Amino acid sequence: MLAYITRRLVYGLVTLLALSMIVFSLLQASGGGPLDRLRLNPRMQPVIELLTKQWGLDQPVWKQYVTWLKNYVTPSELSFENALPLLAIVVAAGASIAVAKLMKSHWKGALILLVWALAVFVIFSNMTLKFNWGISFQGAGDVWDLVFGRVGATFRLGFSALFLALMIGVPLGIYQAIRQYSFFDQLGTTVAFVAFSTPIFIVGVGLQLILALYFEKWTGVKLFYVTGMNSPHYGEMTLFQQIGDTLQHLTLPAISIALISLAGYSRFQRASMLEVLHSDYLRTAKAKGLPRSRVIVKHALRNALIPVVTLISLDIAFMIGGAIITETIFGWPGVGRLYITAIGTIDYPLVMAIVMIIGIGIVIMNVVADILYGVMDPRVRYE
Amino acid sequence: MSDTEFLSAGEEPSESALLVESEGIAVEPITQWDLFWTRLRRHRLAMIASGVLALLVLVVVSAPVLQAAGWIDSPVERLVDEGGRTLRNIPPRLSDGTVQILPPGAEAHPASTSALWFGSDDLGRGVFSRVIYGGRASLIVGFVTGMIVALFGTVMGSIAGYYPGAVDQSLMRFTDLVLGLPLLPVAIVVGRILPELTFLPGWIKQGPMGIALLLGFLSWGGLARIVRAEFLSLREKEFVEAARAAGASDRRIVFRHALPNAMSPIIVQTTLIVGIAIVIEAALSFLGFGVPPPTPTWGAMAAEGGRLAVRGFWWELVFSGFALVTTVLSINFLGDGLRDALDPTQTIERK
Repeated sequence: MLAYITRRLVYGLVTLLALSMIVFSLLQASGGGPLDRLRLNPRMQPVIELLTKQWGLDQPVWKQYVTWLKNYVTPSELSFENALPLLAIVVAAGASIAVAKLMKSHWKGALILLVWALAVFVIFSNMTLKFNWGISFQGAGDVWDLVFGRVGATFRLGFSALFLALMIGVPLGIYQAIRQYSFFDQLGTTVAFVAFSTPIFIVGVGLQLILALYFEKWTGVKLFYVTGMNSPHYGEMTLFQQIGDTLQHLTLPAISIALISLAGYSRFQRASMLEVLHSDYLRTAKAKGLPRSRVIVKHALRNALIPVVTLISLDIAFMIGGAIITETIFGWPGVGRLYITAIGTIDYPLVMAIVMIIGIGIVIMNVVADILYGVMDPRVRYE
Repeated sequence: MSDTEFLSAGEEPSESALLVESEGIAVEPITQWDLFWTRLRRHRLAMIASGVLALLVLVVVSAPVLQAAGWIDSPVERLVDEGGRTLRNIPPRLSDGTVQILPPGAEAHPASTSALWFGSDDLGRGVFSRVIYGGRASLIVGFVTGMIVALFGTVMGSIAGYYPGAVDQSLMRFTDLVLGLPLLPVAIVVGRILPELTFLPGWIKQGPMGIALLLGFLSWGGLARIVRAEFLSLREKEFVEAARAAGASDRRIVFRHALPNAMSPIIVQTTLIVGIAIVIEAALSFLGFGVPPPTPTWGAMAAEGGRLAVRGFWWELVFSGFALVTTVLSINFLGDGLRDALDPTQTIERK
């Protein structure tokens, strides 16, 4: 399994290199130059010279690419000062995984994996790590700070959407499979088809106009906010008000991203559940007289949930695209909207940094999904 | 008897001729296509969907003719005038100087030859003709992307599936690489850069063709994988082995035996891609990185219509969005119908 994961990571690395080369050469091929706008201001001359030197803009393209790559992967600051005690946790968690592996308990293994991931997260949030991703050509500031100042907002949106899609889509699919060909099943199928065929931006703009804008106009009640992530006076609110305010901002964009995925999960879960319901071992379970609820929960559900795990990783790549569109519509201060702004002005360091973050995220998600799939389904063998 | 004689003896004389000889009556043999049509016709939604699509293609293709006949307006020029004089490009203005945005069904202006069934936009252009012309971009993108994906995916997949080993490995690594590229972020970069690439001919830079080519070359990976898997399983089948034992050439095995049996997933997947390509083109245009204005596209109209809808002028958004959703929905329903009709294991009861 380790060999398999390593190989997947190597392929992922090659894909990332290809991605960076493609996007880099595309950006280079655009007419003019990234510094054209700065040239309009004569006082910017020193800045232009600095950037030209830093990025080697007077060099041939391949040299510029090498410079970029070297800068991109070189940490400019790295300290574990605050994180050192936590490193111990990681080591301990790693040891526990080894123990769990010896015990061959999947659930304990999964739990330990979770604790470990949490520890890694805490370490990352406590240590100072910074890469030399350069300065935005449009003068918006340091690229690393810009991107990571916005990652939180995108994660909030993305995970809410994923949560919504899974929590609604999966039970929906299971229920449809149990009541196959019922009215509810037919209705669900049709609705899923329509949702699947409706582009995210139509859903987003529609929800924004009807539930946020027109609803307030018609009834005078502020149900949802049109744009933004928090109200300006968020800091002075009580906790309950803060939760309410967050939901009023978050709900609509999250639904916009989640809707298509939700339809996808319900279809996929329905098919997977039906397959299990028609399997031999389930007939056996029914034949030996187990109660229906037990057959469905204990025998069918556990196996029918496994394939959905693979869908999640594919879905996250899709949701990133959705986040770019939705953040633009709802003025959500996330990475997606930053990306659109950066592309509009062809701000290479920023565009490159975000494209690579997206690529890295997708590669990691794919590997994680593969591992999870193996953890959940003992029949899966890695070669 | 040589191998070729054996083959031709087994395949060439038509089955109906044999039937005539043996029984004295001519019986029309039921072909695969007959079965396919019977099954497809039974899928009511797919039939409605193909009707909708046929109508759409007809209207969209004949748009210039309709315009020449005076039934619809130019999608680019402003269609109205001032005070009855034939002054194109000057939309009627309100007292505060802003353009008058006319609601659906408004009376036609003297300079315009058709009624404003779908109203007008903030530049005084008829939404109806823009929705029709917008369909051109969507259909071109859908069609061209579908063609590229079908061709590229099938060729890549069948070569990889038919020649295992180094060829398969290298082709599949390449496919993985293309599949690993995040579609929308990359498409956005290309869409932004495309009009600025001076070395490209104008028809790629300006029109929907560039977007279609881009989406085609980014999205063939899925089909290639499917075709490869299909070929891998087909090459183990007895009838392929029999053909090979009978001395059939690689070309014959691929085109006579393997490909026809892999057609069903190819058709279904291509239909799916057509729908996705139309949505992505619309999303690109919505974000402003698709087909550049003033060429109308449903995505750009939705973006523009959204801004107008904030001020209460809902029509451009609603009609362009409706056109887009109806088209994509029809394509998906057709794909669903095709999947059912092409599946030989499908039971006949399903309505």
